[in-house]
Amino acid sequence: MSARVLLHVGTPKTGTSHLQDVLFRNRDRLRHHGLLYPADRFDAHFLAALDLMALPWGGLQAEAIGRWDALAEQVRRHSGTAIISHEILATASRSQVGRAMQSLAPDDGTEVHLVLSVRDLVRQIPAEWQENVKHRSTITYEEFLAQLRDPERKGRIATWFWGVQEIPDILDRWGHELPPEHIHLVTVPPPGGAPDLLWKRFSSVFGLDGLDLDLEAERANPSLGVPETALVRRINKAVNPVLDPPDYRPLVRELLAHQTLSRRTRTPRLALPPDLHEWARDLGQRWNDEVRRRGYDVVGDLADLEPGPPPEHWADPDSPRESQVSGAAVEAIRALLVENARMRAEEERLRGELHEARVALDRSFLRPSYRVREKALRGIRRTAVGRGLHRVYRLARGRSSRSA
Amino acid sequence: MTGPARATAWVAHLRAGGTTPWAEWTGTVDGPTPPILPGAQQLELLRRINQRAAVPQPLVERVLTASAAGRGRPDLELVGARPASEFGPPPVDPGALPAEELLRVAALLLAEDLAAEGDPDARPDDLGRLVGDATRRMKRSGRGPWLRPWRTKYRLVGDPWRADALRRDLVARGRPPGGRGALVLVVADDLASMLADIWTDRCFSTGLAVPPWAAWLDTLAGPRRIPRGADTALVAATWSARVGRDRVRIVLDETALPGLLGVPTLTPRSPVSAEAAELARLVAKALDLRVTPDVGRRILRERLLPRLLEHSGAPLAVPPEHHRWIHRRSVRMRDAVRAGDYPVVGEVDGLVSRPRALAASGETLSGEATDERVLALAVDLLLAPTGAQDRTGPQEAGT
Repeated sequence: MSARVLLHVGTPKTGTSHLQDVLFRNRDRLRHHGLLYPADRFDAHFLAALDLMALPWGGLQAEAIGRWDALAEQVRRHSGTAIISHEILATASRSQVGRAMQSLAPDDGTEVHLVLSVRDLVRQIPAEWQENVKHRSTITYEEFLAQLRDPERKGRIATWFWGVQEIPDILDRWGHELPPEHIHLVTVPPPGGAPDLLWKRFSSVFGLDGLDLDLEAERANPSLGVPETALVRRINKAVNPVLDPPDYRPLVRELLAHQTLSRRTRTPRLALPPDLHEWARDLGQRWNDEVRRRGYDVVGDLADLEPGPPPEHWADPDSPRESQVSGAAVEAIRALLVENARMRAEEERLRGELHEARVALDRSFLRPSYRVREKALRGIRRTAVGRGLHRVYRLARGRSSRSA
Repeated sequence: MTGPARATAWVAHLRAGGTTPWAEWTGTVDGPTPPILPGAQQLELLRRINQRAAVPQPLVERVLTASAAGRGRPDLELVGARPASEFGPPPVDPGALPAEELLRVAALLLAEDLAAEGDPDARPDDLGRLVGDATRRMKRSGRGPWLRPWRTKYRLVGDPWRADALRRDLVARGRPPGGRGALVLVVADDLASMLADIWTDRCFSTGLAVPPWAAWLDTLAGPRRIPRGADTALVAATWSARVGRDRVRIVLDETALPGLLGVPTLTPRSPVSAEAAELARLVAKALDLRVTPDVGRRILRERLLPRLLEHSGAPLAVPPEHHRWIHRRSVRMRDAVRAGDYPVVGEVDGLVSRPRALAASGETLSGEATDERVLALAVDLLLAPTGAQDRTGPQEAGT
């Protein structure tokens, strides 16, 4: 049984990718210090979250089957502190939360601590739209904002957004059985602060202070500017009918968005329209008041959640400057051509390898008796009895024996 | 504080088999009330099941603790059950929830039942399995395990739903497909029927994101290519190039199939109603989260399909907005088959979807009334004795 489980359940776009990357790459070092980060691959906790919440995710769900139970079992077997972290857990329903808690701490005295990293709503709204676009969505920014403001929250966009962003509701679902001192809110510093401040906050809440960890980021979820996001949305409209998710992820999300377009940092940044600032600020203020009233442990400062002033010049991603979009498009074409050239070279190399393998095979098949034996075996294996006899023969010859 | 007491009493009423809607419920309980109640979707689903028949206690608990699969509205609070909160989704009257919301929960429960029954193909390994296979085949075919060398060798391609049914029937008779010089039979029908068959075929598969019928047709409208299985001319051209035109037959006359396959009769698969196909689509989506695609496909076809075939209902029909392009495309396809001069068994005009036939009655799977019928079917299946209802919780539904 774990003495302590630190359960980080969100929210998205709060530095979670960097945190999970550091935890994953340093998992062996953490183990030496009694801290378990149970992951056999970088996205292990993401898959476990998909499994827990029965969420399809572009075909990845097949890899997620049984992942939550396996993760929970590792946590239960560990005797020190265990860390689980994924931001989509924020949207779990009450019954899914109940199942998660039961599987991690089944009434055995394990101390569960909930960690929620949070950022001001004015920055979260455009960031979430951008995430939608990077996940094949073709919704315009205007439609997205309209769905968020629908009080009924019936649409999929609104359901997901508020499910992973509405701090008091997330804490209601995840924290209703925990004492407030076991619930830790890590606030993301406002722009312009010390670059390592957020990491220091994570480090203190996860008990990583003083450990010698490799903090070099290998994975991150970088942001795009206005013309770049507009371009990806247009690409989505064109490729969604012809590109399956397993191809979309490496080509559009990784190669184009993360590795290419995110490097264009001089273009206008995505922001909330100025006329919605007051609405978002009021809403954020009500969340802050509620969090303060409930008496959670705040790591950082709730003042971090108060947004800055609206931008003086706001760029509308639904009507971007076409010259900027075409600049981004040229960058995208360049990246695709370079990648295509790399793949052609790889194809050529593999073609050569295949040819060599064929030549080697032909040489080994040159013995005159080979074709006779092969034909006889094919005939025998056509029937179930023949296949059974062949199996018995192979067993008798030993497991390492090869087919004739 | 009557809200929580009223809600607690209603939950107890439903647990006991009650059917009173929340809006009409006035009872309360004395004493403390639980801090968390099941979601409105789960409670309303239980009420609908109670309306149908007495619900076994394990199923009651499973319904109340289930969460809907996939993205969509979260578990919702009952309106009036608690003091209004300014956080979280607004509470609802469960009676006003669309059937689609209840179906998300029901589909997950059905998928858990099916997954718990296991892979239909899971048998003892090695020699035991081989002996079992051989015995089964001998019993089915009424003769020894050796295939007759002079048997009619065949391949079935084209409409995947019909080809799959025919192949299963033939395999069960000890007549597996393939073999040197096999005759390639392109199973075909009018384009609209083949599109319905392809969508149905995908509904009974996992590992694919299958949109609803109308949305799927929307993706095919316009200049895009129709799915390969429905493009008879393309399939015939591909196989002609591979094996030669003389070994390819486009079969539009089903009565000719036994003769072509060298069997006295064939057992065609009974038609699946539109609602049954839609329910299969929803269950497949949830099952995809529980089992691997190959196992999911077997479970859907060997366990769910026979149960759904017991349900009678209207067949799938094409919504009117798609009639024109399907007719035009089917005429083009017939012309391409004629131009290719492929051997056709039956009338080549059978490929054409006539506007009058398209307008004939059928189920286009649109609207709340359809969702209600699909939900009724799901409720019937949940109540059907499958042995899986002895299970005590969703955590046992793993693979």
